[in-house]
Amino acid sequence: MAQKTEGIQQLLIAEKKATDRVHEARKRKAARLKTAKKEAEAEITAYKEHREKLYKNAEQAAAGKHGSAETEIAAYTNKQIVELEKNMKMQMQKSMVLVQDPLFDIDISLHENVKLN
Amino acid sequence: MAGMSDAEVQGQIAHMIAFIDQEASEKVEEIDAKAEEEFNLEKGRLVQQARAKIMEIFEKREKSIDLQVKIQNSNLKNAARLKLLKKKEELMSEFFDKNVEEAKRAVRNDPAKYKDVMIKLTVQALVRLLEPKVTVRVRQQDVSLMKSVAQECESQFKNLTKGKYEVKIIVDEENFLSADLIGGVLLFALNDKISVTNTLDDRVTRIFHERMPGIRESLFGSNPNRKFRD
Repeated sequence: MAQKTEGIQQLLIAEKKATDRVHEARKRKAARLKTAKKEAEAEITAYKEHREKLYKNAEQAAAGKHGSAETEIAAYTNKQIVELEKNMKMQMQKSMVLVQDPLFDIDISLHENVKLN
Repeated sequence: MAGMSDAEVQGQIAHMIAFIDQEASEKVEEIDAKAEEEFNLEKGRLVQQARAKIMEIFEKREKSIDLQVKIQNSNLKNAARLKLLKKKEELMSEFFDKNVEEAKRAVRNDPAKYKDVMIKLTVQALVRLLEPKVTVRVRQQDVSLMKSVAQECESQFKNLTKGKYEVKIIVDEENFLSADLIGGVLLFALNDKISVTNTLDDRVTRIFHERMPGIRESLFGSNPNRKFRD
C-alpha cells in the first residue's frame, strides 16, 4: 500500500511541475508581447531620426545649390550688361544716323482726302 | 491488487510521469513558439504602420523643398531678365538724350539747314490744318527767323494746294516755346481752338517710337528669341 501512495505522490508532483512549467511559459509569452511595443517604438524613433537627417541634408543641399545658382546667374547677368554697354559704345555713331537722318527729312504731303479741283 | 508486481507498477508510474513531462514540454514549446510569432507580428505591425506615416510626411516635405527650389530658380531667372531689360531701358534713354543733344548741335551749327527745316515743318503743319488764319509759335530765339520765312511758307502752302487754299501767318510774339527745345513750330487756328504741334522734339519721340525695333537691333544686336521679322 505504501507504494501506491508513493506512486500517486510522484504523479501529483509531476503534474504540478508540468502545470508550473506551462504557467511559466505563459508568463514569458505575456512579457515578450509587452516588449514588442517597446522595441517597435525604438525602431520607429530610429527610422524617424534617419528620415529627419535625410531631410536636413536635402534642405542644405538645396540651399547650397541656390546660393551657387545665385552667384552664377549674377555673374552671367553682369557679363551680359558689360557686353551690352560695350556694344552700345561701338554702335553709337552708326545708330545715331537712324534717328538724325529721318529727323531732318521732312516729307510734306496733303491728306489723301483733300480735294483740290 | 491483483495482477501487477511492484516493479510493474513502478514502471507504469514512471511511464506516466514521463508522459506528463513530455506533454508539458510540448505545450511549453508550443507556447514559446506562439509567443515569438505573436511578438514578431505585433512588432512588425506597429513598425510598418508608423513607418508608412513617417514616410508620407517626409515625402511631402521633400516635395515642398523641390517646389521651393524651382520657385527660387524661376525668381532668380526672372530677376536677372528684368535687370537686363532695365539696363536696356536706361541705355535707350541715354541714346535718346544723346540724339536730342546731337539735334540741338546740328541746329546751332547749320542755320541754313535749320531755316529750311523750319519752313518745311511750318508748311507741313499748314497743310494739315488747311486754315486761312494761323498763328505760329516758336522759341523766342526763333522769332525773327520765323518772321523772315513766313511769306515763303504762305506761298509754298498756296502752291501745294494748287491755289485752292491760302493762309495768313501771324508769328506769336507774346508766347514762346521753351528755349530748351531743339526747335520747330506750334500752330494755332480758329481763335486758338485747334492746334498742331510740329517740333523737332516731337519728331525725335515719334521716330524713336516708330523705329524702335531697328534702333534696338542696331544698339543691342539681333535678338535670338525673336520669331517674327515681317
